[in-house]
Amino acid sequence: MLAQVSHLLPLELKRLLEGLPADIKGQLEEIRIRENRPLEIAYGGNSRFITADSGILQDAEGAVKPTAEQCRKLLERITNYSLYAMEEELRRGYITVSGGHRIGLAGRTILDGGIVRGIRDIGGFNIRIAREVIGASVHLLPKLLDRTRQSIGSTLILAPPQQGKTTLIRDLARAISYGAWTGMTGMKWRGRKVGIVDERSEIAACVRGIPTFDIGPRTDVMDACPKAEGIMMLLRSMSPEVLVVDEVGRPEDADAIREASHAGVAIIATAHAYDLQDAKGRPELNKLIQDGTFAQIVELKRTKEGVMHRVVRLGNSPNTPSVGSETGEQSMLSFVSRQRDEP
Amino acid sequence: MIGVLGAILIIVAGTLIGFQQAARFAERPKQLRQLSHALQRLETEIGYGHTPLPEALERTASATPPPISPILRSAAEGVWRAEGPTFQESWSAAVKLHWRDTAMKAAEMGVLIRLGTTLGISDKEDQMKHLRLALSQLKAEEESARDDQARYEKMWKSLGVLLAVLIVILMV
Repeated sequence: MLAQVSHLLPLELKRLLEGLPADIKGQLEEIRIRENRPLEIAYGGNSRFITADSGILQDAEGAVKPTAEQCRKLLERITNYSLYAMEEELRRGYITVSGGHRIGLAGRTILDGGIVRGIRDIGGFNIRIAREVIGASVHLLPKLLDRTRQSIGSTLILAPPQQGKTTLIRDLARAISYGAWTGMTGMKWRGRKVGIVDERSEIAACVRGIPTFDIGPRTDVMDACPKAEGIMMLLRSMSPEVLVVDEVGRPEDADAIREASHAGVAIIATAHAYDLQDAKGRPELNKLIQDGTFAQIVELKRTKEGVMHRVVRLGNSPNTPSVGSETGEQSMLSFVSRQRDEP
Repeated sequence: MIGVLGAILIIVAGTLIGFQQAARFAERPKQLRQLSHALQRLETEIGYGHTPLPEALERTASATPPPISPILRSAAEGVWRAEGPTFQESWSAAVKLHWRDTAMKAAEMGVLIRLGTTLGISDKEDQMKHLRLALSQLKAEEESARDDQARYEKMWKSLGVLLAVLIVILMV
């Protein structure tokens, strides 16, 4: 995992991290670099500090401290020596680099009329290593199909943060785009046109407009675009059959989703909520669930064995005719391959 | 006979040295002008094109004649070297390496090296400001280079011949 981001690191830090044991390098999730403060890594749910000879410490005492020059080199490398071309990224506080890795930045902000316009004097970096889990949706997709339309039914995926929502919808988009509707016998459905509104560049991890994750051949991405606007833009311009959006919750998102679903487009959306009951406590989500925009709800739980999911069908949907849909709550627990949420 | 041959050689040599010095005075404002054009182009690439710096330098280099273009090109290529230099290091190394091939002086070199400490590490407005500052400094240098050219170019052309003749006379 380290090899994917090591080209970004200044030579001294690169050497230090390459000296770590192989199993730690393989599980590496985050590298946290703070100017003149201890170097920290996170791997497999643990976080540790690094000593000058690549040793690992529980406590910050004795850890190596990246210098101002190393931080400057790191900043130059992640911005391709062009901080001026990264204004939008600095306003959002992170830079996505090729491979979908995201580098969070902290420092002194520049304000313009009370609105953050960028960050200067950057003193903290968090390199979050992205992992693409191809096949994360293999067990789930067959349960979400809408047979009459030979496509996926509108789906709302609910889970707390860090449970694999983004990984899951990325893989769903990829599978739908390729037409890999697995698990069904004798099914020869075609792949569908997929539109992704990727407000935080997490789903497709676009670098200069080009996705760095495999999201399928029939997928269009509106990168770094506000969800509500992006949904309407894609509807007008790219005629998607399936729309994928991450983390809905604002009233304008809900309106755009309702609009799209009445335009005959299947929606796959995620939202932060512990379960269906929890989601009903959020007014906008509750309205969406009540008025039948979604045919089904998926709840995700990350456990020691992997990610569990439960599909709840909503019977009152006008968009899914009676075939194959059942009223009430039906729970299915099944096992999805071990995965984690990307940065 | 040999004395005459020697005298002719000295006069030819003196004339050539004089013309060479004169040429340096003629070249300097020309190269300063080219450098200014290159920086203006860089300003456009950065300010309006949002082109990443190495690419912006490459593009500028391809539109600039030598001896300016090798400086820009090797500054852009320098950042990919294995030891991972900062852009500033790569830029200063490139300026110093190729400076001998130009007719420009230490003042312009100072302007360029100072510019290198700021390129790429601040926002757009800041970059434009630094580039404009460098441009105005180069313009001042260009004016003084033109003055020097008017004053010394002709002088060196005749001075070379005259000095050579003086040496010949002294030797005879």
